[in-house]
Amino acid sequence: MYLARVEGTVVATVKHSTLEGCRFLLAQRLESDGTPAAEPQIVLDWIGALRGQLILVSTDGDIARVKLGNTTPARLVVAGIVDNVAAPGWKIGELA
Amino acid sequence: MRLAYVRGTLTLAPAIEELKGRRLIVLEPVTMDNLRAKNGKGGGKALIAVDELGAHEGQLVAFTEGREAANPFWPKNAPVDAYCAMIVDSVDL
Repeated sequence: MYLARVEGTVVATVKHSTLEGCRFLLAQRLESDGTPAAEPQIVLDWIGALRGQLILVSTDGDIARVKLGNTTPARLVVAGIVDNVAAPGWKIGELA
Repeated sequence: MRLAYVRGTLTLAPAIEELKGRRLIVLEPVTMDNLRAKNGKGGGKALIAVDELGAHEGQLVAFTEGREAANPFWPKNAPVDAYCAMIVDSVDL
Protein backbone atom coordinates (compact mmCIF):
# COMPACT_ATOMS: atom_id res chain seq x y z
CA MET A 1 0.00 0.00 0.00
CA TYR A 2 1.18 3.50 -0.67
CA LEU A 3 0.11 7.11 -0.38
CA ALA A 4 -1.13 9.09 -3.36
CA ARG A 5 -2.85 12.38 -4.10
CA VAL A 6 -6.10 12.39 -6.06
CA GLU A 7 -5.49 14.41 -9.23
CA GLY A 8 -8.80 13.89 -10.98
CA THR A 9 -11.25 11.42 -12.47
CA VAL A 10 -11.25 9.25 -15.58
CA VAL A 11 -14.17 8.45 -17.88
CA ALA A 12 -14.20 5.51 -20.30
CA THR A 13 -17.16 4.23 -22.32
CA VAL A 14 -15.34 1.26 -23.82
CA LYS A 15 -14.02 -0.88 -20.99
CA HIS A 16 -13.93 -4.39 -19.57
CA SER A 17 -17.52 -5.38 -18.77
CA THR A 18 -16.77 -5.94 -15.07
CA LEU A 19 -15.78 -2.27 -14.70
CA GLU A 20 -19.22 -0.97 -15.63
CA GLY A 21 -20.49 1.58 -13.13
CA CYS A 22 -17.21 1.96 -11.28
CA ARG A 23 -15.68 5.27 -10.23
CA PHE A 24 -12.13 5.79 -11.41
CA LEU A 25 -9.73 8.26 -9.86
CA LEU A 26 -6.42 9.37 -11.28
CA ALA A 27 -3.94 9.30 -8.40
CA GLN A 28 -0.31 10.30 -8.19
CA ARG A 29 1.87 8.27 -5.87
CA LEU A 30 4.03 10.48 -3.68
CA GLU A 31 7.44 10.13 -2.07
CA SER A 32 7.79 10.89 1.62
CA ASP A 33 8.79 14.47 0.75
CA GLY A 34 5.64 14.97 -1.30
CA THR A 35 7.26 14.76 -4.74
CA PRO A 36 5.67 12.55 -7.43
CA ALA A 37 6.80 8.91 -7.75
CA ALA A 38 6.48 7.26 -11.18
CA GLU A 39 3.49 7.60 -13.49
CA PRO A 40 -0.03 8.35 -12.22
CA GLN A 41 -2.38 5.41 -11.67
CA ILE A 42 -6.09 4.84 -12.11
CA VAL A 43 -7.61 3.63 -8.84
CA LEU A 44 -11.07 2.23 -8.17
CA ASP A 45 -12.93 4.23 -5.58
CA TRP A 46 -15.82 2.99 -3.46
CA ILE A 47 -15.21 5.55 -0.72
CA GLY A 48 -15.71 8.85 -2.51
CA ALA A 49 -12.28 10.47 -2.38
CA LEU A 50 -12.04 13.99 -3.80
CA ARG A 51 -9.45 15.82 -5.85
CA GLY A 52 -6.52 16.98 -3.75
CA GLN A 53 -7.09 14.43 -0.98
CA LEU A 54 -4.34 12.10 0.20
CA ILE A 55 -5.40 8.47 -0.11
CA LEU A 56 -4.06 5.04 0.78
CA VAL A 57 -3.88 2.86 -2.35
CA SER A 58 -3.86 -0.92 -2.09
CA THR A 59 -2.30 -2.82 -4.98
CA ASP A 60 -4.05 -6.07 -4.08
CA GLY A 61 -6.87 -7.04 -6.41
CA ASP A 62 -8.77 -9.25 -3.98
CA ILE A 63 -11.36 -6.64 -3.00
CA ALA A 64 -11.99 -5.81 -6.64
CA ARG A 65 -12.37 -9.49 -7.48
CA VAL A 66 -14.88 -10.05 -4.68
CA LYS A 67 -16.93 -7.04 -5.78
CA LEU A 68 -16.59 -7.34 -9.56
CA GLY A 69 -16.07 -11.06 -10.18
CA ASN A 70 -13.20 -13.42 -10.92
CA THR A 71 -12.59 -12.11 -14.42
CA THR A 72 -12.06 -8.48 -13.51
CA PRO A 73 -8.72 -6.91 -14.42
CA ALA A 74 -9.21 -4.31 -11.66
CA ARG A 75 -6.43 -4.16 -9.12
CA LEU A 76 -5.75 -0.83 -7.42
CA VAL A 77 -8.36 0.36 -4.93
CA VAL A 78 -8.72 3.28 -2.54
CA ALA A 79 -8.24 1.71 0.88
CA GLY A 80 -8.92 4.95 2.75
CA ILE A 81 -8.64 8.70 2.88
CA VAL A 82 -5.66 9.71 4.98
CA ASP A 83 -6.56 11.64 8.09
CA ASN A 84 -3.12 12.08 9.59
CA VAL A 85 0.44 10.86 9.01
CA ALA A 86 2.62 10.89 12.11
CA ALA A 87 6.05 10.11 10.68
CA PRO A 88 8.86 12.55 11.55
CA GLY A 89 10.37 14.10 8.44
CA TRP A 90 7.52 12.99 6.20
CA LYS A 91 6.32 16.21 4.60
CA ILE A 92 3.59 14.22 2.91
CA GLY A 93 1.65 14.40 6.18
CA GLU A 94 1.05 18.09 5.59
CA LEU A 95 -1.10 17.16 2.60
CA ALA A 96 -3.56 15.20 4.70
CA MET B 1 -3.84 0.85 -13.93
CA ARG B 2 -1.56 3.24 -15.72
CA LEU B 3 -2.47 5.37 -18.70
CA ALA B 4 -0.74 4.79 -22.01
CA TYR B 5 -0.89 5.77 -25.66
CA VAL B 6 -1.28 2.94 -28.15
CA ARG B 7 1.66 3.08 -30.52
CA GLY B 8 0.87 0.02 -32.62
CA THR B 9 0.26 -3.71 -32.66
CA LEU B 10 2.36 -6.82 -33.01
CA THR B 11 1.92 -10.44 -33.95
CA LEU B 12 3.74 -13.59 -32.86
CA ALA B 13 4.74 -16.57 -35.00
CA PRO B 14 4.99 -18.96 -33.38
CA ALA B 15 3.33 -18.16 -30.08
CA ILE B 16 2.63 -20.18 -26.97
CA GLU B 17 -0.84 -21.74 -26.94
CA GLU B 18 -2.31 -19.28 -24.42
CA LEU B 19 -1.45 -16.28 -26.58
CA LYS B 20 -2.56 -17.65 -29.93
CA GLY B 21 -5.18 -15.43 -31.52
CA ARG B 22 -4.73 -12.71 -28.89
CA ARG B 23 -4.45 -9.11 -29.98
CA LEU B 24 -1.27 -7.49 -28.69
CA ILE B 25 -0.73 -3.75 -28.56
CA VAL B 26 2.40 -1.64 -28.07
CA LEU B 27 1.94 0.86 -25.24
CA GLU B 28 3.81 3.95 -24.10
CA PRO B 29 2.79 4.90 -20.52
CA VAL B 30 1.98 8.55 -19.88
CA THR B 31 3.63 10.67 -17.22
CA MET B 32 1.69 13.24 -15.19
CA ASP B 33 3.55 16.10 -16.88
CA ASN B 34 2.68 14.88 -20.38
CA LEU B 35 -0.91 14.24 -19.37
CA ARG B 36 -1.28 17.79 -18.06
CA ALA B 37 0.45 19.21 -21.16
CA LYS B 38 -1.96 17.24 -23.42
CA ASN B 39 0.91 16.92 -25.88
CA GLY B 40 0.24 13.37 -27.04
CA LYS B 41 3.57 12.23 -25.60
CA GLY B 42 3.94 9.30 -23.23
CA GLY B 43 7.36 9.38 -21.68
CA GLY B 44 7.16 6.02 -19.90
CA LYS B 45 8.92 2.77 -20.66
CA ALA B 46 7.20 0.94 -23.54
CA LEU B 47 5.49 -2.41 -22.97
CA ILE B 48 3.13 -4.88 -24.61
CA ALA B 49 -0.41 -5.62 -23.45
CA VAL B 50 -3.25 -7.94 -24.46
CA ASP B 51 -6.20 -6.03 -25.91
CA GLU B 52 -9.78 -7.24 -26.29
CA LEU B 53 -11.35 -3.80 -26.74
CA GLY B 54 -9.95 -3.01 -30.17
CA ALA B 55 -7.83 -0.04 -29.14
CA HIS B 56 -6.07 1.55 -32.05
CA GLU B 57 -3.00 3.67 -32.61
CA GLY B 58 -3.01 7.05 -30.92
CA GLN B 59 -5.76 6.23 -28.43
CA LEU B 60 -5.32 6.74 -24.70
CA VAL B 61 -5.97 3.53 -22.78
CA ALA B 62 -5.67 2.25 -19.22
CA PHE B 63 -3.91 -1.05 -18.61
CA THR B 64 -3.73 -3.33 -15.58
CA GLU B 65 -0.41 -4.81 -14.52
CA GLY B 66 0.51 -7.86 -12.51
CA ARG B 67 -1.40 -11.02 -11.71
CA GLU B 68 -4.76 -9.28 -12.16
CA ALA B 69 -3.97 -8.80 -15.87
CA ALA B 70 -4.62 -12.54 -16.32
CA ASN B 71 -8.00 -12.47 -14.52
CA PRO B 72 -10.05 -11.91 -17.70
CA PHE B 73 -8.91 -15.36 -18.86
CA TRP B 74 -10.10 -17.04 -15.66
CA PRO B 75 -10.52 -19.99 -15.07
CA LYS B 76 -7.80 -20.59 -17.64
CA ASN B 77 -4.23 -19.70 -16.85
CA ALA B 78 -2.56 -17.18 -19.10
CA PRO B 79 0.97 -15.75 -18.89
CA VAL B 80 -0.37 -12.20 -19.28
CA ASP B 81 0.92 -9.40 -17.05
CA ALA B 82 -0.49 -6.38 -18.88
CA TYR B 83 -4.10 -6.05 -20.05
CA CYS B 84 -5.87 -3.15 -21.72
CA ALA B 85 -8.92 -2.61 -19.48
CA MET B 86 -10.35 0.60 -20.90
CA ILE B 87 -10.21 3.07 -23.74
CA VAL B 88 -10.21 6.47 -22.08
CA ASP B 89 -12.73 9.12 -23.18
CA SER B 90 -11.50 11.88 -20.91
CA VAL B 91 -9.33 12.65 -17.93
CA ASP B 92 -10.67 15.42 -15.73
CA LEU B 93 -7.73 16.96 -13.88
